[in-house]
Parts: sequence; structure tokens; C-alpha cells
Amino acid sequence: MSNQQAIKGPGSSFNYIALSLIPFSLFVALIVGLVQFPLPWQWSQPWVSSLDIALAFRVDAFSMLMLMLITGIGTMVFIYGSGYLSHTPGKHRIFFVLIIFMMAMIGAVTADDVILFFVFWELTSITSFLLVGFNHASSDARDSARQALFVTMAGGIALLAGLLLLSDMAGTWSLSGIVAAAPTYMDDPRLSYAIILVLIGAFTKSAQFPFHFWLPNAMSAPTPVSAYLHSATMVKLGIYLMARLDPAFNELLLWELLLIGAGAITAVWAAVLALRERDLKRILARSTLSALGTLTLLIGLPSSSAGLAVIAFLFAHAVYKAPLFMVAGNIDHVTGTRQIDHLMGLRRVMPWTAAAAILAGLSMAGLPMAFGFVAKDIMAVAKEQSELVEIVGYGLLLVNAVAMAVAAVAAIRVFWGPLEKSFVGLREANWRMVIPPLMLAIIGVEFELFPDFIDPLLLSAAQSISPSSQLVEISTSYSFQNMFSATGISALIAIFLFLAWDRIHDRLASMRWLDNFGPEASYEVVLTTLKKTASIHTRFLQSGRLDKYLLLTISALIAMSFYVFWNAPIQMPAFNHWPMHSWAWLVAGGLMSIGAVVAVFLQNRLALLMAVGLIGYGSAILFLFAGAPDLAFTQFTVETVLVVIAATVIPFFKHAPYRETPWKQPLKLLLALLAGAGTFILLMNLQAIPENRDLASWFASNSLPQANGRNVVNVIIVDFRALDTLGEIAVVAFSLLAAKPLFTHISANRSEAASGSVLLEKLAVPLYWMMLTAALWILLRGHNEPGGGFIGGLVAVAASSQLAILYNSRFARKYQYLMPSKLAMLGIGMAMVAGMAGLITGEGFLRHVEIAGLSSVLLFDLGVFLTVWGSFTGYVYSLLERHELPLETSEQGGMS
Amino acid sequence: MSLILITVISICVSSGILLLLSREVFKMIMGLAVLGTAANLVVFTGGRPGSLVPAVIEQGSQTLMTNAASPLPQALVLTAIVIGFALLCFALILAAAVANQQDNSDVASYRENEPSGNAKAQSDKPSVMEIES
Repeated sequence: MSNQQAIKGPGSSFNYIALSLIPFSLFVALIVGLVQFPLPWQWSQPWVSSLDIALAFRVDAFSMLMLMLITGIGTMVFIYGSGYLSHTPGKHRIFFVLIIFMMAMIGAVTADDVILFFVFWELTSITSFLLVGFNHASSDARDSARQALFVTMAGGIALLAGLLLLSDMAGTWSLSGIVAAAPTYMDDPRLSYAIILVLIGAFTKSAQFPFHFWLPNAMSAPTPVSAYLHSATMVKLGIYLMARLDPAFNELLLWELLLIGAGAITAVWAAVLALRERDLKRILARSTLSALGTLTLLIGLPSSSAGLAVIAFLFAHAVYKAPLFMVAGNIDHVTGTRQIDHLMGLRRVMPWTAAAAILAGLSMAGLPMAFGFVAKDIMAVAKEQSELVEIVGYGLLLVNAVAMAVAAVAAIRVFWGPLEKSFVGLREANWRMVIPPLMLAIIGVEFELFPDFIDPLLLSAAQSISPSSQLVEISTSYSFQNMFSATGISALIAIFLFLAWDRIHDRLASMRWLDNFGPEASYEVVLTTLKKTASIHTRFLQSGRLDKYLLLTISALIAMSFYVFWNAPIQMPAFNHWPMHSWAWLVAGGLMSIGAVVAVFLQNRLALLMAVGLIGYGSAILFLFAGAPDLAFTQFTVETVLVVIAATVIPFFKHAPYRETPWKQPLKLLLALLAGAGTFILLMNLQAIPENRDLASWFASNSLPQANGRNVVNVIIVDFRALDTLGEIAVVAFSLLAAKPLFTHISANRSEAASGSVLLEKLAVPLYWMMLTAALWILLRGHNEPGGGFIGGLVAVAASSQLAILYNSRFARKYQYLMPSKLAMLGIGMAMVAGMAGLITGEGFLRHVEIAGLSSVLLFDLGVFLTVWGSFTGYVYSLLERHELPLETSEQGGMS
Repeated sequence: MSLILITVISICVSSGILLLLSREVFKMIMGLAVLGTAANLVVFTGGRPGSLVPAVIEQGSQTLMTNAASPLPQALVLTAIVIGFALLCFALILAAAVANQQDNSDVASYRENEPSGNAKAQSDKPSVMEIES
């Protein structure tokens, strides 16, 4: 195909077979590398150097074997996929994810750093999820994909925890280092936890009992994916990890028990369940499970030659199972079904597929001439050496027998016998779908005949996971007795199983109650419970009622604070300081308390506003008698303007105040009282702690020398902490901008203008100028005496408000010369310019600079003044524009 | 004498919370105002108030007198008062606009962007997870 076509991308003209060049070139590179450079290859680059995590890779013979499987079978799968998926819409996604998957696998089997390994491990889970769920229109595929993801991801988390524990104990992030350092931490009490966690990860990935159920369901993936991920490579990753760690923990009883137990149960249980399936692909999936169980079991054996058995079986299984999946895919593709009831005599229409099936089936059945046999033979030897528990041995006989029977079903049953009429005239699958299974199957047989190339690789791979491995009689010199003991009895059972397949199947199929007890059933229970719990608690927390949200939030806050009080000793300060002006505090506090208590009972909005105003004025008096005149003035003016604005807003609430349902009050009352009590306890504790005056005294002693200001409060605001103030006036201005669109939502309420007092109207303008002058004076004196931009600005707001109320907002606007929002922006701009001065002289942004006796902080304070003036007059004018001077408002405003 | 202050603050917090929990929207906003005042006073108590002398350096002196009130909480509270006021104004306008638009002053009825009333009918609807799948 031409380059031009390739550029067109994933259109119909792009021939996906070209993608197989990616794994193929990697495969060739590996072979060349293997010949050129001695193993192991190592490469490392710092990644997170502060944690000592590195991009460390290490390729030994075991990794090399995995790499060859990944790239070699990958090549075949890509060729096969280009034929199998040729009419599948969206196939480019499959190939894209397959390539990512392949890279992740390559990374996982070469990574030496455990974190890096984990990242690749998870990436294979994610790509597996995407591929299983490829047919996302089908709910089956979605469920299966989610199941595969949940199970493997949950395992992934456990694995991460386990790997972190191992790394911590071994003192290294390196996988090979962890294995090498194993003797040093054998007595660590955390070891058992680490092993269990790591094994949960490995068991989920390699579908070991009780996490096995996701694998047969994952068969909803397209067949090339099943052949590649779910038989040949990804599910072997858990095996890979266990085999890698085996030299470290081989002697541990826990390790042996878990591996042999889980492996044996998986192998036998999957073998039994394989007999229940009618779908050819699912039968193969069950037998894959069985094989994975056998591998886990073999790793768990404390035998030196088990290493070789693991390697040989791992290799053999990949080489025969992938072509069998492809065969199943071809049958599905050609006949449209995978149900073995209908499939017979297909060799007449699919001779090449039949040939591939028979070769791979031979290898799977472990009969002579096939590589599978060699593996089985080694396994037989390994089993003898380790004096395996007899029951497991019998179990394995059954497993072998089922494997043979499955092979026979896949290779003989569907291809021999009379061809069903509806299948007459069908044509053999595309060559791209025939060559790959045939080649892989031939390779399996080939290596039996010419083992010279693969034997040394298998042996060195075995030695890298089990250093004492020796080349057992691997190929030709097996003893007849071994062969017989391993395969003979199995073969007899297999023949029986094969002949009685349908009857056994019917018997097992009727035992549906089995499904209710499997781990898959508990998975479903967990999933539905999770959804229900989430639904219930979401309904509870998210009732959709704002008042309930508030109730929940406040309850949570109170509960948390009382939890803290519960655990901390409560301290009480000594109150022996009763100065002369305590009476003023008593009066102010009394006013506030009256306001606070009364406010709760008031229904009338205006009266409520008055009560709240009382609280504000009371706190202003408190400030006045606590050495805080600035605060007092600010609070006074704020309360005044608040009453103006709130009183203007009240008429817009057209509905009568909502009255509470009485039975709900106790809870709210309780919460309110608890909140008050909590505040009391908190403040008592606070008073008991000696005050840290470091900051306050720094400001006290540096205010005059550094900032030329005697009013320390003002100096802090406009000089030392000017940046905070800049942010704060920005917030003030933005609140007006945010409110602007809301004004239009308030429906206009134009009543006839009530005539105000003539005398007041005459006085309004002079009063305005007087107040503005006072405001400016307050601003100017602020640096050395109580006052400043905030207070001055608020006084100016009051001045403008009285003008707007007595005349109208348009009149007041005229006297302000600039639109309120523009005025506010001008103020912020001025403050920024004042800040720039310090930047230009090199003092730093917002540091004060004196030019001709005038400080830049004066400009800054003027900015504060203008922002406050503009922002709040904006509120007043916009509100007044919405209705023309209701009587009550003008009276309230007139008083201010 | 801080005892007076602390008691008053606690009363204000109780009153503010009770107002805030009200379903009447204007009461809620007023609760915000009361809580804001109480919060300012809490910060103010951090400076251990008790002195009548303002935090102003006297003529002829270079530093603040030791018996003067602590300036730092005052600076914090001053800006807090103004910001709290800006927030309050905004909240008032917002409440008025919402009450107008929803034609009701009951906070519990404001649920334009919330799941609708009947909790039982809700559980039959697909959850987020189900919608995604």
C-alpha cells in the first residue's frame, strides 16, 4: 500500500495489516539484540529523584521470553485482526488501543522499578477495559468491561500497597533488588501483609480464584483481543509477577499455601465449568483459566525444576491457545455462531482453519509431536520431584483430561462429522485470518522437532526465576513412564469426557444453583448494594432543599467541633480584670443581646432589620470602648448604609414572611444553642491561652519608623498588608458587578413618589457637600489618627444615599460625576498605580514611596475610598431606580 | 470583662444560626448579617481586648504604648466588616431576585436546579451511574 493511503488514516482504504509491522519489527529487533548483546540488559534514568524512583528497566531471559511472546504473538494478532475486523466500524480504535496495550505490556515485563511496573500494570488494565467494552452498544459488553476493570483495579490498589510495603522492607524500589534482599526482611511482621496484598493483585490480573469470574465474561471483546490479551499476554502478567517474586518467597509456607491453594481450586473449578459451556470461545476461556491455575500452582511448588515447568508451560500455552481463539473467531466469522451444538464437519468448508485447529489442539492435548507435550512432560517431572499432595495430583489429572477434551472439541468435534446443511457453500475465512493461527500452531509443533533454539532460552528464563534450574530431559529423552503417568490416565478420562460431553453438559447445566454461591454472585451483590447505598445516601444528603443542606452542614460543623472539645481539655481563664469602663460593655452587650433574642421572634421584616441593626450598633459601641475607634466608626457607618439598602430591598419581597412549621423548631433551636455553647467554649479556651503579641508589637514598633504613620491599624491596612487590602476592595467592587444582572430580576415597584419634607430637600445638597468634605477629611487624617479610606468611603456613601433618597438616584448620580461601577474601578486602578510607585523605585509592589512629601499610600487610601464609595452607591442607586421612594424608606434614610 | 464579650458573642451566634436555619429567605440573610458581626467580634477577642487606648502612636513617641489595644485584629476586622457588608448587600439582592422570580419567600421551594420533590419517585429514576452506563 502506498504512503498516500496511509495518510488518509483509518478510512476503508487503509490496510491495517501494515500495523503488524510494529510488533514485527520489535520482534526482529529483539532477536538481533539477543544475538548481539548478552543478557541482562539494563537501563535507568532518574524519574522522581526526590523519592529515588527511577525509570529503570531490566531485561533478563524471563523478560526476553515474555517480550518475544508479546511481540511475536502481537504480530500474528495484528495480521489476524486486519482480516477479522475488516468490516468492523471503528476498528481504528481497537488497533490504537492494542498498540498502547502492547507498549504497556512491554513496559511491564521490562520495568525494574516497582512504581514504574505498577504504572504499566495499571495501563494494561485500562486498555483491557477499553477493548472488552469496545462494542459499547451492547450492555453485556459494558458490564463485562466494568467488571474486568473493577476487579483488576481493586487488585491493582492492593498490589500497589503490597509493592510499597515490600520496597519499604527491602529498602529499594528495584524489583530485582527486592528479590535479592529477601533474606534480610524474612522476619519482618509486615511480610505476610505484603505477600497477601501482592498476591491479590496478581490473582485478579491472572484471574485466580476467587477473582476468576471476570475472564470468561471478558470474552465479549473482539476475538483478536481475546486471543492477545485474555489468553496469551495480559493474564500472564500476574503469573509473571509471581514467578519473578518466587525466588524470594519460595520457602515461605504462606506463599506456598496461597499459590497452591488458589491455583489448584482455579484449575479444577475452571475445568469443571468448562464442561458447562456451549460457546466455543467461553469453553476456551474456561480452559485458559484452568491453565492459569496450573501455572500458579506450579509456581507455588517448592521445587527447583518447577521453574522450568512454569516457563515451558507458559510459552506452550501462549502458542497453542492464541491460535485456538483465532480458530473460534474464524468459525464465528464464517458460520455466524460459536455454539458447538450446531458446529460439525466444518473441515469441508474451512480446511486451513481445521488444520490449524488440529495442530494447536495436539499441542494443547499434550500428545507427542507437539511442544505442549514437552511442557507436560516437564511438568510431570516437576510434580514428582516436589512430592505434591496426592489430591492435587488427582485434580491435575482431571484438569489435564478436560484440557484434552477441550482440545478435542475445538479440533475434532467441530470439524469432523457431517456438515450441517445450512453451512454448505460457505467459504474459508480470509487468508489473513488463516495464516496467523496456522503459523502459531506450526511454531508450537516445530519447536518440539527443533528445540535447539528455544531450549537454551527457556532454560535461562527458568534460571532467572529459579536459579537452580537444570535442563531436565527436555525434548527427546523423556521416559515412556513419565509420559504415561502424566498423560495416559488423563487421555482415558479425556476420551470419556469427549464422548459424553453433551450428557455431562446437560447434567451440569441443570445445576444452576451453583451460580448463586460463586464469587461472581457476591460481586453482583456488592455492586447492587453499592448502588443502592449510594442512592440512599445521596437522597439523604442531596434532598434538593436548600434549608436541609444548611441544616446538614451546620450539624456536621457542630458535631466536628464538639468532637474536638471532647478530646481536648477545656480551660477556663481567670477573669480578675474588671476595668472602669465595664459598664459601657455591659450596656453595649445588653443592646446586642436584646437585639439577638428579639430578632429570633420577629416576623415583620422591617422590625427584624431594626433588631439586626441594634446588634450592629451594639458591636460598634463595644469597639468604641475597646480602644478600636476605627472599627467603631466603620461599624456605625456600615450599619447605617445597611439599613438604607436593606430597607430599600424589603419592599421587593412581595410575599408575606414564611412561617415555620412548629414541630421542626426544636431541632433548629438545639443546633443554635449548641453552636452558641460551642462558641462559648472555644472563646473561653482562647482566652486561657496567653496571647502571642509578636506580630502586634512588630507593627507597633515599626509603624512610625518604616511607614510614617501613627495610626497603626491604618498603616497595616494601606502599607504593610496593602496587597490584602487591594484584594479586599476588589471583592467589594466585584460584588456590585455580580449583583448588577440581578437588579433586572427584581420586578419594578413604581409607586407614586411620596413628597418628602421641603426643609430636608432644601438642605440636602449642602448637607451632601458637608458630608463629603468630612469624608475626605476622615480619609486624609486616617494615617495618623483614627479614620482612613474605608470609613471615609462609607461616610461618602451615606452622603450620596441621603441625596438619592431625598431627590432621586439620577440627581445623586449627577453629583457623583462618574458611574458608581466606574468609580469603583477607578479606585482599584488608583490603588494599583499607587502600588506601581514602589515597583518603579525598586521597593516592591505596594511599598510606600514618598514623593515631594506626599506618600503613595495616600493615593492608595484614596483608591480604597473611591472603591467603597462607588460600590455601595451602586447598590443604593440601582435599588432606588427600581421603585420611587416608598415612604418608609425615605424616613429610614432620612434618619441616617 | 472578656466574659461579657464572650457571652454576647455566643448569644449572637445562637441567634444567627437560628435565623440562618429559617425557611423565610429574608430571615436567612439577616442571620448571615448577625453571624458576620459575631465572627468579627470573635477575631477581635483574639487581641484580648481590655484597653481603652486606641492603637495610635502618640506625638513624640516612636512606638505604640504598651497598654494600647492590639492593632492587628483591628486591621483584620476593619476590612472584614466592609467585605462582610459587600457580601450581605449581594446576598440581599440575590434573595430579592430569587424571591421575585420564584414568587415565594420560602427557601425550601427554591429548587429550580435541584432534584424535584418526592424522594420516593426519585429513587426510581436512574442514578448517575446508570445513566452513564
